[in-house]
Amino acid sequence: MAYEALDFYDIDALLTEEERMVRDMVRDWVDKEVIPNIEEACREGVFPDKWRVDLGEMGILGAPLKGYGCPGLSYIAYGLICQELERGDSGVRSFASVQGSLAMYPIWDFGSEEQKNHYLPGMATGELIGCFGLTEPDYGSNPGDMITRAEDKGDHYLLNGAKMWITNGTTADLAVVWAKLDGVIRGFIVEKDDPGFSAPEMTGKHSLKASVTSELVFQDCQIPKDRILPGVKGLKGPFSCLNNARYGISWGAVGAAQSCFDSAKEYALSRIQFGHPIASFQLIQNKLSWMLREITKAQLLAYHLGNKKDDGTWIPEQISLAKMNNVDIALEIARMSRDIHGANGILDEYPVMRHMANLESVKTYEGTHDIHNLILGRHITGIQSFTREP
Amino acid sequence: MAIGVLLKQVPDTTAKIGVSEGRVDETAVSKWSMSPYDEYALESALRLKEAGGEDVVAITCGPTRAAKMLTDAAAVGVDSLLHVLVDDLSALDSTQVQSILAAALGRADCDVVFCGKQAADTNAGSTGPGVALLLGASCVSHVSEVSPDGGGYLALRASTGGDERVQVSAPCIFAFDKGDEELRRPNVRGIMMAKKKAIETISPSDLGVSLDNSRVTVVSHTPPPEKPPGQKFEGAESVATVVGKLRDEANVI
Repeated sequence: MAYEALDFYDIDALLTEEERMVRDMVRDWVDKEVIPNIEEACREGVFPDKWRVDLGEMGILGAPLKGYGCPGLSYIAYGLICQELERGDSGVRSFASVQGSLAMYPIWDFGSEEQKNHYLPGMATGELIGCFGLTEPDYGSNPGDMITRAEDKGDHYLLNGAKMWITNGTTADLAVVWAKLDGVIRGFIVEKDDPGFSAPEMTGKHSLKASVTSELVFQDCQIPKDRILPGVKGLKGPFSCLNNARYGISWGAVGAAQSCFDSAKEYALSRIQFGHPIASFQLIQNKLSWMLREITKAQLLAYHLGNKKDDGTWIPEQISLAKMNNVDIALEIARMSRDIHGANGILDEYPVMRHMANLESVKTYEGTHDIHNLILGRHITGIQSFTREP
Repeated sequence: MAIGVLLKQVPDTTAKIGVSEGRVDETAVSKWSMSPYDEYALESALRLKEAGGEDVVAITCGPTRAAKMLTDAAAVGVDSLLHVLVDDLSALDSTQVQSILAAALGRADCDVVFCGKQAADTNAGSTGPGVALLLGASCVSHVSEVSPDGGGYLALRASTGGDERVQVSAPCIFAFDKGDEELRRPNVRGIMMAKKKAIETISPSDLGVSLDNSRVTVVSHTPPPEKPPGQKFEGAESVATVVGKLRDEANVI
């Protein structure tokens, strides 16, 4: 049977023909290329290079960006792309999120004309891979206190410090790195062959196994003066990137949840216990009904937020709500689906355990679940609770 | 002159087909797709164009929903789209559809034509040969590959004795079997262009085709009989029974 996405409230009817075509293109690709190969990729701990090539050929990297060879799609289309990729695997969606929202976006929004022309066309086709260096070993939720420093040495900048948990780091051709220059956070483009730069891969992950995660190390790393992003200063830079990536995650989580729901439904209908399919038992129906309810709500959140992104009326707190809620319910659905699959749920024959382990990362990265609660708490009360400082 | 591709929108081969009151219930079909053999024909037509051939015109005869298939064809590189609007294709017989398609090919000025060897819904297999007869064109069926050859074309087709290479000159029609080259995936650029591409929608009468009553009447559709449930045997004492069933019922030993 072809995959039929759960769409209880007929969101399909709200999409433009172009959005549906893009969604179907990515959906077919995921069915043909990702799902048959994902378990092997996870076992080997690699992101197959063919996926990079295919994503570039489909022309979906940096989806909502316009000009400089970028696709110029709507934010709804970008969301649908994330949804379909994450239905395959969170690692595939992570690759696209980092490339588009975290590496291409800051160059597109804050870069010089020369930087845009130099990097963006190659990044849109996947020939150049980008990564994003914000988080440090000791500064995760609190990036403002980062240690990484840049010094102006007259004819070049000198970077010192380390970044951690960097998706695509080892395979990237360039990194958008956030570092303090005279105490102010600035963005820098570091290329893989710059002297003093290395990107060792982190190993031992039980989650996002088909995605490359790395450290970025800068030891007297010299970069030319024209690699600073001229258009932004302070945390606004990295946070603008995160807003776009978090928006994509709110759709991606729906895709992972749809995959888990689909698998649970099929399994419950075919698994016979006590002489009847387990789908006929009330406890199972209750679980499936809860999944349908939460997926439908998550779809409506993502879709409405997409419209607000497209017409420019969004606020970051709305993105926090959608990212937090949708990943939360996706993880809960993955666990519940694993439950419905019984012992079979732990096997790689079914996608649920993989999605579950992936979503633990997704719940933590791009603003942890709790940090998004604090963002909303500040919005409600006007009182920030991140730090004890006034 | 142009390269013509005849496409038909059919229920997706993975969609559930329901029969209601002796007819396939089209409203219950969850997904409509381009007929799979037509996809091979389309891919081959696009390759012929890329090898220095003429523009590709996609032609379909069918209801409003078939327009989506033409837009999908534009997204992979078809140059122009012609939709002969017929609300109920099942009310026409094969010769009527062939006369519509032949007239449409004439209007689009096509002298080399690609189509599937049969559609995945009716499996009649009459379109290629039938249209060829009306156009006075050569027809090569069960083709898996077409390449330019001097002023004509070289088609590869499977035969009982091995592969045949058939040389033909225009006007000609190639009815496609499964080929080696699957239909290419669209990309965002193609989708954006497809959105802007106009579909020329016309009626059979615009083509000067008058449709009298169909000479063929489908009496009824029935779903295939349900497969009997599988049988399970356990233990060494069942060996004789299983062997007997394999020999007498399954006819495999």
